[in-house]
Amino acid sequence: MALTLAVLLCFASGYFIAVLGWPRRPCPSDFAVLDSLSAGCGLGLFSFVYVLSRAAGNNHLIATDLAVFGVLLVASLLIRSGRAAELSEPIENWQASSAARQILVAVFIFALAAALYGAITRVIVHPHGEGWDAFSIWNLHARFLFRSGPAWSEGFSPLIPWSHPDYPLLTSGAIAHFWTYIGHETQAVPAAIAIVFTFATVGLLYSLLAMLRGRISAMLASLALLTTPFFIEQGTSQYADVPLSFFILAAVSLLCLHDAFEESESAGTSRLLILAGVNAGFAAWTKNEGLLFLAALIAARALTFIRDARRAPQRRLASAARTFLPLILGMAPALLVIAWFKHFIAPPGDLFPDRALAIHKLFEPARYGAVLRWYGKEFLRFGEWWLIPGTLLLIAFYFLLKRKPESQTPRLAPGFATSHLALSFTLAGYFVIYLITPRDIYWHLRNSLNRLFLQLWPSAIFLFFVLITPTVKKSAQISEHLPPAAPQ
Amino acid sequence: MVTEQSEKNQTSVAILIFAFCCLLSTVRILGNAPRPGQLQADSVAKRSDQRFAQLKVALPPRGVIGYIGEPGVSGTADYYLAQYALAPLVVENSENHPLVIGDFPDRPNEPVTANLKLIRNFGDGVLLFSHEEAK
Repeated sequence: MALTLAVLLCFASGYFIAVLGWPRRPCPSDFAVLDSLSAGCGLGLFSFVYVLSRAAGNNHLIATDLAVFGVLLVASLLIRSGRAAELSEPIENWQASSAARQILVAVFIFALAAALYGAITRVIVHPHGEGWDAFSIWNLHARFLFRSGPAWSEGFSPLIPWSHPDYPLLTSGAIAHFWTYIGHETQAVPAAIAIVFTFATVGLLYSLLAMLRGRISAMLASLALLTTPFFIEQGTSQYADVPLSFFILAAVSLLCLHDAFEESESAGTSRLLILAGVNAGFAAWTKNEGLLFLAALIAARALTFIRDARRAPQRRLASAARTFLPLILGMAPALLVIAWFKHFIAPPGDLFPDRALAIHKLFEPARYGAVLRWYGKEFLRFGEWWLIPGTLLLIAFYFLLKRKPESQTPRLAPGFATSHLALSFTLAGYFVIYLITPRDIYWHLRNSLNRLFLQLWPSAIFLFFVLITPTVKKSAQISEHLPPAAPQ
Repeated sequence: MVTEQSEKNQTSVAILIFAFCCLLSTVRILGNAPRPGQLQADSVAKRSDQRFAQLKVALPPRGVIGYIGEPGVSGTADYYLAQYALAPLVVENSENHPLVIGDFPDRPNEPVTANLKLIRNFGDGVLLFSHEEAK
């Protein structure tokens, strides 16, 4: 009963966060996106509520959850009314035979079943997670939060630096929140959260691409992700890399969806930017790499704005406000919580113990060579694919189609431009971290680069299919099929 | 018309090749998944919660305690698992505490330094020491 209530409150609160950021009354085609978003937003919110309740000494967790849910429900009812943004949904224009389509559907269903089977059997065999980080970082933090009572912050101690007490608490906080409802610890909770994040990422990729580029693109993209063995393995390992990949994908894909609504000249689309900001904030509350992504997103948005401002200098100020404010507004709650956590609770991280030495390392050419070689190697192998790397497969697919993107629009649209720049900046940021790492550079690369690439992989697949899918607008296609007007 | 048909064939072939190549990695996912007859939980619970259950009862509920264990990678894993089991106690890898855990799963009769006085042997290589000179 308590668990059912917790699940309902978590997902319903997440759903209303998504609805608040949605620019129109949800229609049937929106529900798949909103459902996928509600999983991540609900778990993110549960984490915030739990950690802040702990910090405030609040022991009335159910009452707090009900109050938060009530506020979100009322807000979504009040703000939703009167909104009717339109999206000129594209109709996919893949010129493929029906046999090819049917085979694709069959392969997709098989791959989904295989991924589910792999995920479920893995969590049964590894209930405490697969790999050291699960029990030495994420689940350990959840235990500190749940077991310590008012002294919850004592666990984030510099005496055990290997447990990375400076890491943000999204997954750990959500786990501890569910444990508090149940009244005891069970590994079913972190295992279920891991599976939810894994398949919500696939669901989000599918549903948003289906909305923006049609079902064939959605299926191809989801297939690429579902058949990445490392994604399924990491997704169920109870690490935080796949949850982070979910939030990065959510932020990136919502920015692209904002482009599509803007194209339709709909009102109220800035809500999508707020929702993108909220998800970028959740990314930063999941892992420190999420903070890097958040900074990259802001920098990318700034560059995109400068590019656009050159084209229309007269609207510079209004455009800046429309570009930045909603995004920053969405990020603000998470940034405040992270700032409080980093300043008052967590000891300093272990990546920057000696700034002078770090700067010195930036001038060692050998380190650049080492990182570049590993980037090249991991580009081909991070997914642990069999025989054909997924990254190469995407490139090969592009050339097999022998078709250039039909329109320049996706590349120029601010959301798409921001997204791919943000991913590029994040990759560049990882590069710099490896250059200055205080640890042995090869050890660090060997133990983390594949996971860093995986964090960006769902978003990279999403942007690839947004770019290459040929589309026609519904209205255009309908008019093409209309008989010519009768002469007057 | 010919161009349209040719484009349709080309796209169909591309989609089928893409799907087939993806399926190859599905084989790996299935191959790496545990077999239905071998779905037994790994040893994490046994090496942490179960192994330290008796010791946990004998320790204070909060605070910081010391830890000594075996060297090497397996020793590091044992240390992390001890911390995992004993949270919310903070287990520091140091003798410099009034209470010190000894963790020697492979050498239950490990001789320890003269500074430590054995309080209790919980079996399975789990020991509790006092360190009177510690701060």
